[in-house]
Amino acid sequence: MNPRKFLFGAIGLAIATVVAACGGGTPTTTAGNETGTLTVWLMNGSAPASVIDGVNADFTAKHPKMTVKVEIQQWSDIGTKLDTGLTGNTPPDVVELGNTLVAKYAAAGLLEDISGKKSSFDNSGTWLQSLTDSCTVSGKLYCAPYYAGSRAVIYRKDLFAAANVQPPTSMDELLTVGKKLMAAHSSDPNFSALYFPGKYWYAALPFIWDFGGDIATQSGGKWQGSLNSSGSQQGLTTLATLVSSLSKADKSGDEAKQDAAFAGGHIAMIIANGWEVGVITDPKAGDPKLKDKLGVFPIPSHTAGQTAPVFLGGSDLGVAAKSKNQALANEWVELLTGNKHMNEMATVGGVIPNTTSMLNLGTGLNAIFYAAAKNSRFVPNSQNWASVENANVIPDMLVSIFTGKAQLPAATTSASDKITTLLNGS
Amino acid sequence: MGAAIAARNQGPALHRPRRRRFNHLPYALITPASLAIFGILAFPLGMLVYLSLQHYGLRELFLHQGTWVGLDNFRTILADPLFQQVVVRSLVFTVANVALTLILSTLIALLMLKVSRPIRTILMGGLVFVWATPVIVAIDIWQWMFDYEFGVINYLLTQIHAGNFIHHNWFDNPFQGFIVITVVVVWGAIPFVTITLFAALLQVPDDVLEAAEIDGAKPWQTFWNVTVPILKPIFLIVISLSTIWDFQVFNQVYVMLNQRPSSDYFVIAVYSYRESFGITQYGLGAAIAVVMVLILIVVTFFYVRQTLQTAEIGA
Repeated sequence: MNPRKFLFGAIGLAIATVVAACGGGTPTTTAGNETGTLTVWLMNGSAPASVIDGVNADFTAKHPKMTVKVEIQQWSDIGTKLDTGLTGNTPPDVVELGNTLVAKYAAAGLLEDISGKKSSFDNSGTWLQSLTDSCTVSGKLYCAPYYAGSRAVIYRKDLFAAANVQPPTSMDELLTVGKKLMAAHSSDPNFSALYFPGKYWYAALPFIWDFGGDIATQSGGKWQGSLNSSGSQQGLTTLATLVSSLSKADKSGDEAKQDAAFAGGHIAMIIANGWEVGVITDPKAGDPKLKDKLGVFPIPSHTAGQTAPVFLGGSDLGVAAKSKNQALANEWVELLTGNKHMNEMATVGGVIPNTTSMLNLGTGLNAIFYAAAKNSRFVPNSQNWASVENANVIPDMLVSIFTGKAQLPAATTSASDKITTLLNGS
Repeated sequence: MGAAIAARNQGPALHRPRRRRFNHLPYALITPASLAIFGILAFPLGMLVYLSLQHYGLRELFLHQGTWVGLDNFRTILADPLFQQVVVRSLVFTVANVALTLILSTLIALLMLKVSRPIRTILMGGLVFVWATPVIVAIDIWQWMFDYEFGVINYLLTQIHAGNFIHHNWFDNPFQGFIVITVVVVWGAIPFVTITLFAALLQVPDDVLEAAEIDGAKPWQTFWNVTVPILKPIFLIVISLSTIWDFQVFNQVYVMLNQRPSSDYFVIAVYSYRESFGITQYGLGAAIAVVMVLILIVVTFFYVRQTLQTAEIGA
């Protein structure tokens, strides 16, 4: 290559880069005439590519000179990335936030207060309550609900039929049904009627809530851990019995491999999200032959005929406080959370949409997961909640209960005290 | 050695009265290197110390402005019983790992002296292969081998009737867990130490060894009284380096335990990371890192002193 040409090429490229970078920072404000780049951080697996392409097409139709750069992030190190990304001088304009993370970033002033813009979002009157709660800090709205996930029990219809049992309608029945399944497979030392890894705290919460317990309660601005309340202890005792009689899962492991384990046979039930059906029947990661053998029922309550409240996981979409494109960023969020694309999220993506008005879109197995979202709860909405999660308080407590390292009352009291300290910390 | 001899030959020249004129050239020549060292080492270290004297959470990160708290962070961690446990655990872990690395590496290096050329090539190839494996990939592989559900180690141990290891969790008991971590750390450290020691062993003069043998020394005595003293400088350097590496071990714990190690598994680097990025207390995390640096400086001191002495002998 001609070195001279190369040099000019390089200078040209450098100028282009600088111009592009500046363009991203200072868009002109005439409607439809803005130039620059809108940076969006979405989480791995949150929206199908076709939905994102559709949102971007609608967006660039209105703002033809804008470029949208969607960057897919991984869940494992997202906390560190958000810390540095949102506090930097050129933050991503739109970020998807796991609903338990919002309070931390909102309280630190890292997200734009969008209380005044709420009415410009489709369905903001019928947004799922738990998601709206997760976006609300000190009475102000800092993000728009994006989608939700709730858990139910995925079970093997063929194994149930062979053992001549029906999906249970109460926690007691869950134990009875499980024991019958265990008895039917007593020759298989690896068989779990209900596979429950010890650190799986999202699946433990329904038991705590169902007996009237909770993680923590707030009064007079002070948090008080309540995992040692009588309701919480009753729920955990019930769960511990189920785990010890029905599960061969790792008592100190997490749920990361539960779908692979379920696909391997030897398991009749797992507590799982709706999307996990896809993982279990995936030709590469799972076993496609199970497709017609899977059924779903809601986690039963201890009161016969009712269902237990489930943890509503999910994601919200926020706009960075330091974003220089806030108006455009909100417009992009309005498109993704709006009627047209939210409908696709539900029908194509199979996730629970952000509004109760679309909960009827769930079909087949999904309908059960959608229904579960109606009776859902959330973790304490405190800016310090992330510290509780990071300190592994609840998983560690569950592990010590299931493995017998500590007695249940002592384990719950110790965890409760830790939560009180962490939630009230500065 | 060459320089020393040359200097002796020019003996009288050394007694020439020294010129007082300041020679700028050497200083100019070391300036770029000094600037680079300052830029990549001294400046971040200075910033770390500065950060350790501030309250620096998420809000402060956003405002780019911390709150000065003096030595409060240090007081907090020194009063924290968990921190004391972590330091003791890290020290014990380091001693065990360095000792194992050294013993196994020396044995392999001695073995390599004795075996035939093709076997030595195979051994060397294996060592280089281990050394070249990216640490994260290696940890992933080890993690799968020790897996609760699908692990080959549990399967093999059960097959050879070492006990029932089906559904055995190696990390339930922190002592067992640290044995697994030690295996991974030592496995990764052996290649460098072995190759270094092997190269050093080749430098032990044959005539000295033969003389010892003629004098009736047993192999063990020869090794202990002839080889080890000759290799002492190399041993010291390898021990210092291993200590530094093993004391700041992070990936082998953090990645092995799915990035969520329980506090039983906190070694000092993991603890510092958890305080900094886990609960976004960057000042506190920095204070822990400063303590870690201070402990390492003590170790580095021996390393630097040995390097200087070796340099003098070599000159």
